[in-house]
Amino acid sequence: MRRTLTALALLLTTTLAGAQTKISSVLLPGSSPLVTFRILFTTGSAYDPQGKEGLAALTASMLAEGGTRSMSYDQIVQALYPMASSINSETDKEMTVFSGTTHVENLDKYYGLLKDMLLDPGFRTEDFNRLRDDATNFLKVSLRESNDEELGKEHLYNTIYSGHPYGHHNVGKLSSLEKLTIDDVRAFYRAHYTTANLVIGVAGGYPKEFSSKVEADFGKLPEGQPDKKRFDSPKLPAGTQVQIIARDTRSTAISLGFPIEVNRSHKDWAALALVASYFGQHRSSNSYLYQRLREARGLNYGDYAYIEYFPRGMFLMTPEPNLGRQQQIFQMWIRPVEADNGVFALRAALYEFDKLVRDGISQEAFDTTREFLGKYANVLTQTQSARLGYALDNRYYNIPEYTSFIKTQLSRLTVGDVNAAIRRHFKSDRMRIVVVTKNGEAFRDAIVKNIPSPISYNSPKPKEIMDEDKTIQAYSVNLKPENVAVVPVEQVFQ
Amino acid sequence: MRNLLALISLLCATAAATAQQKDTKLFPYNYSIDDLDNGLRLVTVPTDFPNMVALYIVVQAGSRNEVEPGKSGYAHLFEHIMFRGSENYTPAQRDLIMKKAGAESNASTNADRTTYYATFSKEDLDPVLKLEADRFQKLKYPEPAYKTESLAVLGEYNKNSADPTEKLDEVLHETAFKKHTYTHTTMGFLKDIQDMPNQYNYSLEFYNRFYRPEYTTIVVVGDVNRDQTLSLTRKYFGEWKRGTYMPNIPEEPAQTEARTASVNWNSPTLPWIAIAFKGPAYSDEEKDKAALDLLSPIAFGSNSDLYQKLVLKEQKVDELEPDFGNHPDPELFSIYARVKDPKDLDYVRDQILSTFKRFSDEPIDQAKLDATRSRIRYSFALRMNSSPAVAAALAPYIGLRRTPETINKLFALYQQITPEDIRTTANRYFTVNNRTIVTLASNKGAKNQ
Repeated sequence: MRRTLTALALLLTTTLAGAQTKISSVLLPGSSPLVTFRILFTTGSAYDPQGKEGLAALTASMLAEGGTRSMSYDQIVQALYPMASSINSETDKEMTVFSGTTHVENLDKYYGLLKDMLLDPGFRTEDFNRLRDDATNFLKVSLRESNDEELGKEHLYNTIYSGHPYGHHNVGKLSSLEKLTIDDVRAFYRAHYTTANLVIGVAGGYPKEFSSKVEADFGKLPEGQPDKKRFDSPKLPAGTQVQIIARDTRSTAISLGFPIEVNRSHKDWAALALVASYFGQHRSSNSYLYQRLREARGLNYGDYAYIEYFPRGMFLMTPEPNLGRQQQIFQMWIRPVEADNGVFALRAALYEFDKLVRDGISQEAFDTTREFLGKYANVLTQTQSARLGYALDNRYYNIPEYTSFIKTQLSRLTVGDVNAAIRRHFKSDRMRIVVVTKNGEAFRDAIVKNIPSPISYNSPKPKEIMDEDKTIQAYSVNLKPENVAVVPVEQVFQ
Repeated sequence: MRNLLALISLLCATAAATAQQKDTKLFPYNYSIDDLDNGLRLVTVPTDFPNMVALYIVVQAGSRNEVEPGKSGYAHLFEHIMFRGSENYTPAQRDLIMKKAGAESNASTNADRTTYYATFSKEDLDPVLKLEADRFQKLKYPEPAYKTESLAVLGEYNKNSADPTEKLDEVLHETAFKKHTYTHTTMGFLKDIQDMPNQYNYSLEFYNRFYRPEYTTIVVVGDVNRDQTLSLTRKYFGEWKRGTYMPNIPEEPAQTEARTASVNWNSPTLPWIAIAFKGPAYSDEEKDKAALDLLSPIAFGSNSDLYQKLVLKEQKVDELEPDFGNHPDPELFSIYARVKDPKDLDYVRDQILSTFKRFSDEPIDQAKLDATRSRIRYSFALRMNSSPAVAAALAPYIGLRRTPETINKLFALYQQITPEDIRTTANRYFTVNNRTIVTLASNKGAKNQ
């Protein structure tokens, strides 16, 4: 099925429809001298066979960072060098995307490499060994031992989705990676890199006939069966559960959340997007949590909330597209606090969350957040690559063009709708919490026994804050001892 | 292909990042520069990306300006304090205006500059500039708010502290620089950060010194025109008073001996090695910096012989990165490598050192030099894909020379560099006595230094 998103694209593609009906594409022709590709396969780590976790991501790396049958990877690097371009892969649960941008002057050379890398991979042993090492070291060293925040966030997902096809890091599990073989990669490529899973995305000032050439080339992939599994919401036992990852670190990082049944195609998505923005707009001081925890109390560097997966948030101001998922979680990210304030910070996060669910948001907060989000959609989609990415996601979620979609949805909302959506979706008794800290047992004791966690400040605070602190420092986390586990870091991603 | 290019050029008019001609300017946009009497500079860059405006305000003060002992990290602290209220706007009022503008806004600090940036819809330029003018001229923050914000800075240190490369970089600079303020990182020493809450008066002094029009350039990129930006800048920044302070940044004496340091890291990591030589300061006229800029990717980038050997063929290293930034004073030409097996650390060090030696002895291949110039052209063109991206590409050069023209001058200088220029320059800078090597390895049980 062909689906197009601009009037011009429609004109271009209808003439070709007869020859290439099975190829899906999203084409955004324009006047930019840059041409952007997002070649999307609707498959990903949720399709990793059991015991072979990491196979989808390793297969994508073998294409994007490995040689073709005719060129070794070092020859590809040499060829890309003068163009200053690259081909990047990103594997998520249900999407794998290959993206890159080239100047139109280099389009033929660049596309020639991209095409061969995706359609005629070399699957060399030396590339496999290098990329499997990279995946292992990413989990074992870069994530587990060098970045407490991403560690906590990723482990939260693994905890919530334990036993679910989403239940392992996209890069895999250490115990599975070591067993993967190059034949596994070949088999995954054959089964999932099919026209049934393919959506071609091209944007920019490419020549008129170019997109049909891309479609013809990629049409040579086997037709296959589409990866169309339905992923259900994870079945979580009731009650709050905490995983404390113990490692030698100077501060305490906290992530918490629970599954929601709302993704971009759900009627309540705009309402919850507004709540997440009001409560914890990513990397912005314009949000409630940030104001209460960082600005009023100086607890840490920032505090945010999300209703969609947002990896590498510490390095990015806006989310990357093509991370579409059937299932999402609501998540709060409490950036590292001084270890002495860890329990207080966790209590403060829970206290604020409970208050949000109890009181909802005010008319004034609703009005300003709605105004913000309507305009902010232009920021999110201001590059050609982002517009193309969003267009592919729109297709996945079956929604119209993103900026007009969100503006229309927001314009129809009332504060009553938003507060009703909070009550519908945030009344969770299945909160999952991940804490990364040095002294795991002491942290466990403090929350299991509900030991008060007073906080002291280096400057006078208003009475309102001091009074609220008295409530927070004794705020019950409401935990059964068996629901709090201390996990040695060596076991994470294992 | 030619017809296509002609068509595209026609369609793109001024915005096209035309990289195809060698004599084309690297910065392809028309821009205007206006200097106010008080020393403030305005750079306006209209683009044809619709509706949006990127406002970047660049202050030529970074951790390099922190000359007093015990006062590292204040340029960065100040970046935080600037969000803590001004005479006519409380932080809450500020947040509301930026929120209603749908703005993405933040700030960043490095060794040489502090940059405040916001991207928003064009109709909000007036209220946003008015708001910015207030904090740049009339910042007003009570001591308790100052103390609380200093804790957020400690929080930032904490979030970085799990990353061994932060420590590696800190020790590298501390070892390589003995007098110059490049000895400390922008974040500052932990003991200085922990003392920040007690230094309210010093913070006021820092503001008075550097938040002055002569240190500041306003860059407006996007769906704007010069008349509009100039009249708003005059209206809101015209009364700003020039300062008098000139920092006395100590010159780093010539290094006379090879230096080394090692860091014991108290959690599991793969070992890292950093090898650095003092390099030349930024210049768009003298050849030294430009010559080594071109050498850096050829000798150590992803298409270099060394990368191909250590990363792709032998697979002993999984990260190999050169770092050679543009700075007003001489800084470091550094190579960072992460080694997969601790026993290979000495081998990797020797391979990197022999690469420095090789390019001090042999001229590079002309074809690689040409490919590198091509890469620079295209990477600049590819970067400029939105108004904030254009502004972000400009900001470092504004911090150095306060004009986009320096980019074009630098690119013209690159065209003049020969393989022999690169060899002789490498030979002068990559000497044993100008070298610092720092290694970092896991030594479980040891305290982080």
